[in-house]
Parts: sequence; C-alpha cells; structure tokens
Amino acid sequence: MKQRIFLTTLALFLFFFNLGIFIVSVTMFRDTVNRAEERILGEHYFIASALLKDFIAVESRGADLDGSISLLLKPYSYLSGDNKTRLALYKNDQLIYSDQNASVLEDNSLKPPVGGNRLATIRKASNQTYVIVSGKLSDPYHSYTLVYLYDTTEAISSWSHLKNNLFLAGFALSILLAFGLLLVLNRIFRPFKQISRTAKDIAGGAYETRLPVSGGDELSEMAQSFNHMAEEIQLRITELKNAADQKQQFVDNFAHELRTPLTAIYGYAEYIQKAVMSEDDSLSALQYIMSESRRLQTIAFQLLELANLQNNPLTCEELKVSDLFHSVRQTLYGKLAGKYIQIEFCSEIETIRGDVSLLESLLINLIDNAIKACGKDGHIDVRAAMENEKKTISVQDNGKGMTQEVLSQITEPFYRGEKSRNRNDGGAGLGLAICKQIASSHGAELSFISRPGEGTTAKITFTTSQ
Amino acid sequence: MASILIVEDETAINELVKRNLQLVGHQCVSVFDGKTAVSEIQNQSYDLIILDIMLPGLDGFEVIEQANKTPTIFLTAKNSLPDRIKGFSMGADDYLTKPFEMLELLARVEAVLRRTQKNASCFEAGDIKIDFGSHQVFHTGRLVECTPKEYDLLEVLVNNRNIALSRERLLELVWGYDFEGDTRTVDVHIQKLRKKLDWDDRIKTVYKLGYRLEAGR
Repeated sequence: MKQRIFLTTLALFLFFFNLGIFIVSVTMFRDTVNRAEERILGEHYFIASALLKDFIAVESRGADLDGSISLLLKPYSYLSGDNKTRLALYKNDQLIYSDQNASVLEDNSLKPPVGGNRLATIRKASNQTYVIVSGKLSDPYHSYTLVYLYDTTEAISSWSHLKNNLFLAGFALSILLAFGLLLVLNRIFRPFKQISRTAKDIAGGAYETRLPVSGGDELSEMAQSFNHMAEEIQLRITELKNAADQKQQFVDNFAHELRTPLTAIYGYAEYIQKAVMSEDDSLSALQYIMSESRRLQTIAFQLLELANLQNNPLTCEELKVSDLFHSVRQTLYGKLAGKYIQIEFCSEIETIRGDVSLLESLLINLIDNAIKACGKDGHIDVRAAMENEKKTISVQDNGKGMTQEVLSQITEPFYRGEKSRNRNDGGAGLGLAICKQIASSHGAELSFISRPGEGTTAKITFTTSQ
Repeated sequence: MASILIVEDETAINELVKRNLQLVGHQCVSVFDGKTAVSEIQNQSYDLIILDIMLPGLDGFEVIEQANKTPTIFLTAKNSLPDRIKGFSMGADDYLTKPFEMLELLARVEAVLRRTQKNASCFEAGDIKIDFGSHQVFHTGRLVECTPKEYDLLEVLVNNRNIALSRERLLELVWGYDFEGDTRTVDVHIQKLRKKLDWDDRIKTVYKLGYRLEAGR
C-alpha cells in the first residue's frame, strides 16, 4: 500500500514536473528564435531599402552598377558591429557579392520567393545555427536578391544551457521529493505498522499488549477500539484458563481422593490373602476395607449430589425460618452430644423462600464445619436477619478460624484447610462446594469472614427479592 | 530386623504399612503428623523412615530436612515428576507412590536397608542359620550344600517371610522374567529345600496361591 502510494505519487509528480520544464524550455526556444528573426528582418529591411536608394543614386550618376556593388555593400557588412552577421547579394541566382566569411551560404542555393515577400529560415551548419533572411529588392532591381544571415549560436546555446540547468534542477528536486515523500509516508503509515505488529503479538499469545493512544483522530479511535478488543480477548482467555485450571484441579484432587481409600482397600485385601495372621488381625483388616469402601461411597454420593444440584431445578416454597431451625437443631442433636458446644438460634425474619431439604443440608453443613472448628467449649450463633433489605442467615463460631489464603479456596471441591488430607474428621471434602452450589441455585451468595484464632462467620445473603 | 519409623496421617495406610513391615520382622513405630515425627527422630535413632509428603503440621519435605540423614523412603499419592524429583533431590533414598503393592514396598525397604548396610547379616529360625554375607546355610551348625538357585529361592522366601508368594512371582523373583520353564520348577526346588533344611512345617503350601515361609512371629 505504502509502496503503491509512493510510486504513483512520484510518477505523477515526475511526469507533470518534467512536462512543465519541457513546455517552458520550448516556449523560451521559440521566443529566442522569434526575437532573432524579428531583429534580422528589421535589419534586412533597413539594408534593402538603403541599398535601393544607393542603387538609384549610383544609376543616376550613370556609373556601372555591378562594378560598384561591393563598394556599396561593404559598409553594411559591419552594420551590426560584431561578427555575427553576414551579407550576400545575388543577381539572378548568381552570387555577386558576399562577405569574406560567408562560406555557409555558398553551398546553400537560396531561392527567394517570387514577389515581394521575404523568406526567413533557420539553418544549422557545422555547430553553428543561423537565421537567414533572403528577399528581392524592389523594382526595378528585382533581379537582385539580398541575403542576410545572423549567427544565433550563442543565443541557442545559452538557451540549451538554461534548459539543461532546468532539467538538472528538476532531477535534484525529484530526488529530494522522493525522500520527502518516503519520510511523510512512513510517518503516516507508522500507526498501521504498529497495529499489525500488535495484532501479531496478540495472536502469538502476548494478550497484555496494547496500542498507544494519542490525539483524537480516526487513528486513535481505531487504536482505542483495537485495545478494547484486545482487553476483551484477554479477559475471555483468562476466564477460560481459570476454568480449565479449576477443572484440572478438580480432577487432580478427585484422583488423589480416590487413591487413598483404594490403596487401603487393595492393601488390606492383599494382606488378608497372603499374610499369616490371627483372627483379630483379619477382622481389623476387614474393618478397614469396609470403612474405606464407605468413604468411596460417600465421595460418589456427594459428587452425584453436586452434579444434581447443578443440573436440576429446585422446588421452591415459602418456609418458616423457625421450622427450619427446629429441624436443623434436631439433626445436630447427636453430633453435639458430649462436645460441650453451645449453639444458639435467633430468627428475626418470619419466612424464607427455598427448598426445605437443601436449605437444611446447607445449614447443617455450615454448622458442622463450625463444630469442627470449635473443639471444646465452643459457641455457635445461628442468626436469620434483614441486612441492607436483604434476607441473610449467618453461622458464627468462635473456633480456630482460617487465614485469608485458605478462605479463598475453601469452596473448591476436595479442598482441605489442612495441608494434609486427613479424613479423621470424616467427610469427602465436598461439603462447602455443595453449600456454595445450594446457595447459588437459590440465587443467594455464600461468603465467609474469618481470622485465625478468632473464629469464622459464614453468611448466606439472598440477593433476589424472595 | 530394622527399626522403622512410619510417618503417615491416614490411619488405615499407616497401619497397613506397619503390619506389612512387621510380617518380615521389622520393628515399627507409627506417627501421624510432621511435628511428632521430627521429635521422634531426634529422640531415637531409626534405620529407615517411611514418609508421606502431605502431613498436618510439617510436610514431608520439612521433616526430611531434619531427619539427620536417616535413610528415607517417600510413600505418597503425589506422583508427578516434579514431586519425585524434589523428593530425590532432598535426599530420599526411594520414592513409592500410592497405591502400592505389598511386595514392592517390602522389596524397596529391603533394597534401601541393604544399601545402607542396616540389614541383618544373618537369619536364624529353629535349627537353621543363613549367612547372607557368605551365602551359606547351616543346619544345627553343619553346612548344607545348596545350588545357587536353591539359595536364591531361600533368600526370597526369607525376605518375604510370612507372606504368601505365588509360583509365578517366585519364578519371576528367582529365575527372572525371561525364564522359559514352567511353575513346576518352583515346586521341585521347594521340595528340595524342604528336604535339605527339614522345613516341611515351615515352608507351607498356601491353597490356590503358592508358598509361604512362616518364621519369626
């Protein structure tokens, strides 16, 4: 594109520029020649009429005309003062007089036109250019032809010099123009080059690359929309990458989660098959096999529950909060026994819209976590209230709390607060992932506030106006 | 007879490893988290540590740093290459991933103990004494002549004592993968060993499985 513009502009310029120079030089040439012709015609006329008078005078004196011709003509030869003019006189095509240097004329038989007209021609001979005027003298001397010659070589050569200079200057100007044009075009096309380079970078994976935006013209507008596009692409790519990472994490965790019980089951089965053992040994090995199998079952069941929550719509109905709390308390009764944990329910709102069993399991899960965090002498506060005109249920404990880092990952499937994946407290590591899913299928938000050593607050905020 | 520390937070697996190692006569101590493991290592010297990586408190990598160069085998579910490399670069002697097979665990423990020369140089059961250093077998003090294959078979049986070994596995362990004979070769050699050592009651035939040397329990 740039090259095309450069070449066409340059070609057009060169064409018109040189055409101009050509026209100017042609005009000048004409001018020079015309001026020389006019001058010579004038001088010819003057000489011819003077000669006529001389002829008449000579004849009236009765002298021989042909004998005195050279005498008569001599003074006219020096008329112009320089050596540029020549003079010759013919009588009936016979040269009867010529200047000493008029050799040019000898080999050129001049045929002046019949009648009173004069003929002006330009003639070139051995590097010289002449303007030649020939004309017959008027009656009664019409047999005489006066030829006057003017050497215009100098004028022509000065013209040709000028013309050469013009073309030379034109050539130099053309080169300058070409450079200038190239610079200007480069400047104009720089943003395009930048855009294509940036696009290439982005295509190559450097999604954070942006174009610099300056000024307020069409280009900067284009750069802005280009940047916007790049931003969107980056955002989408990041989202996709995060999703893929999360999936990979899930699969990794899942594989790990399966590996531990499988190792135990296989190991104990092999042990029973091959080892020498007592009755007690074999019974406890069987016990391990069964409990590990149950763990696998729990994982499978919870995964299924998670999948169901994601796929199936829930049946919503208006629930009394006090009823909900009541049934939760009953379920938890067994778990609280012997743990010296105080649990308090407080309801400031009447009803809430949702699926009974799901909300119950959500609350039980959260309270269960709180119980695990508390240990002995814990205090758990379950509260339903209006906050910022939104219904909320919060579960607050005074347990060991979590760091910010742990907090950000607890709702991921199979995540464990502890670095090890100790299953001594039961559960498959899917509890909070399920909680989050239940909350989001109710159009609610599950959030956690926690500080190590100070306890944790889990809050469900119902964002819809139910 | 080596003293082995097992550091593994999953009770079931900890117990499983312990039982397997005890079968072949090792003494085992089980701990379930990193901090206890470190204090245990500092209080007492062990011949070998079986160490999980993901532990509560301190993780396995932190534990091995304070293990005073005790030979260590990592036993973990982390089987990615970077984890393995990290494990070895931190001074582990071996790296075993879950799920593992009993015989593999025992073989690796055996190998590490042999390398670190913490292995027993001889084995005694009843009237029989086996000297692993000179490859000699004694019956009530008298030298028993054994062919090299018979000795190899005896060593495999002793190293995996109290564990049933299938004929195929014995063939693999003693004769190698490329041996072309059939499992009756094993039966013949077992018969010879029983006769030479008077071990009819110790080398038991396990129904539908293979043979088991019962000793030292």
